[in-house]
Amino acid sequence: MRSFEYLAPSSLNELLEVMGDRAPNFKLLAGGTDLLVDLKHGPSGPKLVMDLGAVPELKGIEETPLGLRIGAMVTHSQIQQSALIAEHAPAMMAAAATIGAVQTRNMGTIGGNLVTCVPSLDSGPVLVALDAQVTVAGVHGRRVLAITEFFVGPRQTALAPDELLVDILIPTAMLGRATAFRKFGLRKGQALALVNAAASIAVDNDRIVEARIALGAVAPTVIRATDGERVITGRSTDDVGALREAAAVAVTETRPIDDFRASAAYRRELVAVGTYRVLEEALALATRS
Amino acid sequence: MHQVEMMVNGQVRRAEVPAETTLLSVLRETWGLTGSKLGCDVGDCGACTVLVDGLSVNACLLLAVQVDGQEVLTIEGMGGFDYLHPIQAAFERLSSIQCGFCAPGIVISAKALIDKNPHPTEQEIREALAGNLCRCTGYTKIIEGIAEACRAPAITDGISVTESGHV
Repeated sequence: MRSFEYLAPSSLNELLEVMGDRAPNFKLLAGGTDLLVDLKHGPSGPKLVMDLGAVPELKGIEETPLGLRIGAMVTHSQIQQSALIAEHAPAMMAAAATIGAVQTRNMGTIGGNLVTCVPSLDSGPVLVALDAQVTVAGVHGRRVLAITEFFVGPRQTALAPDELLVDILIPTAMLGRATAFRKFGLRKGQALALVNAAASIAVDNDRIVEARIALGAVAPTVIRATDGERVITGRSTDDVGALREAAAVAVTETRPIDDFRASAAYRRELVAVGTYRVLEEALALATRS
Repeated sequence: MHQVEMMVNGQVRRAEVPAETTLLSVLRETWGLTGSKLGCDVGDCGACTVLVDGLSVNACLLLAVQVDGQEVLTIEGMGGFDYLHPIQAAFERLSSIQCGFCAPGIVISAKALIDKNPHPTEQEIREALAGNLCRCTGYTKIIEGIAEACRAPAITDGISVTESGHV
């Protein structure tokens, strides 16, 4: 590994000050499961690596008046084991369980996963389905963005060079919302998603009153399939055909690529199947409660 | 240079390292604990698996400075010729190991599993080993070995194994 300077700030203010001074000549170290690989094998090395491990403002999962707050440094394992997540947003646990392997889930963080902003990131679809917001901070202040605004392109977020992701908020209205997640990979463990999908559904008087469909690995970023959502909104909860229609429409909203893992045609097929399954599961959860 | 101090296998270890030194490198090269292996060096193979504060991690993906002040368990802390941990004893009985390169990481991953879940199902054992690649065995005897270790008295009785200072 090339040499670099290492700092481990102990507060968000201290961190932001150094970021303001040194942007863009640093890298932030969260779980390190991607960054260490880049530091070893990437084309160029940063002058400064700042470890976020000692910044208390980036940790913890808690209920707030606005919703459930998840610190950017919360690990995938912590999400899998959190009683608050289990109560309010259990689909996040299902998504976390599909990431990497035990070791990578013990190290990797939800914030790190989102900031990589790869199209296949497994934390993304459930957060989109739950209408999550993210707080980003820089030396000049804080901004709150919808998760869909945070994802800009492949490996490109809305973060300015002197900003970082602080936390993720699941708004109160979405807590306990019936939500499902599916991931399709070439194998079960340590696999990149060929397609991942999430859906959330709210039901009132035997009608679907709100639906959100989120798809990953089939467009430059995780996307919402809003046309598919419109197909089922207002439909009866007994109308099984509506889910198939919505899934077929969702396929038209994707732009999958051909690569060595799968063809675009196969990915479109997986979108149809995956969307149908997450809608079916979310609807079953919504009508049960 | 950075001073690091950590409790490795119950013993305080100190070193002065450049920031870019990985935990794996300080374990192997500074302290001579070569049981943890350098395999893929990118966090896929699990040959470098160690426990940090009880959690299994890839030592190749951690900087030594990140682990300052924490507790580390490597394969050297699990057992030796005089006393084998029940996982190691079961691997020996069943011939679970062929070349052995993956074995230190697998034993550590199995320990992490059993510490939390002393009676795992076969599926749970498989999931716990998803981050440990073995290119020799096909995993069958490894999975049987872990299942057998879970039937050992020290594990079924929930006694933490501490003979000869081993975990």
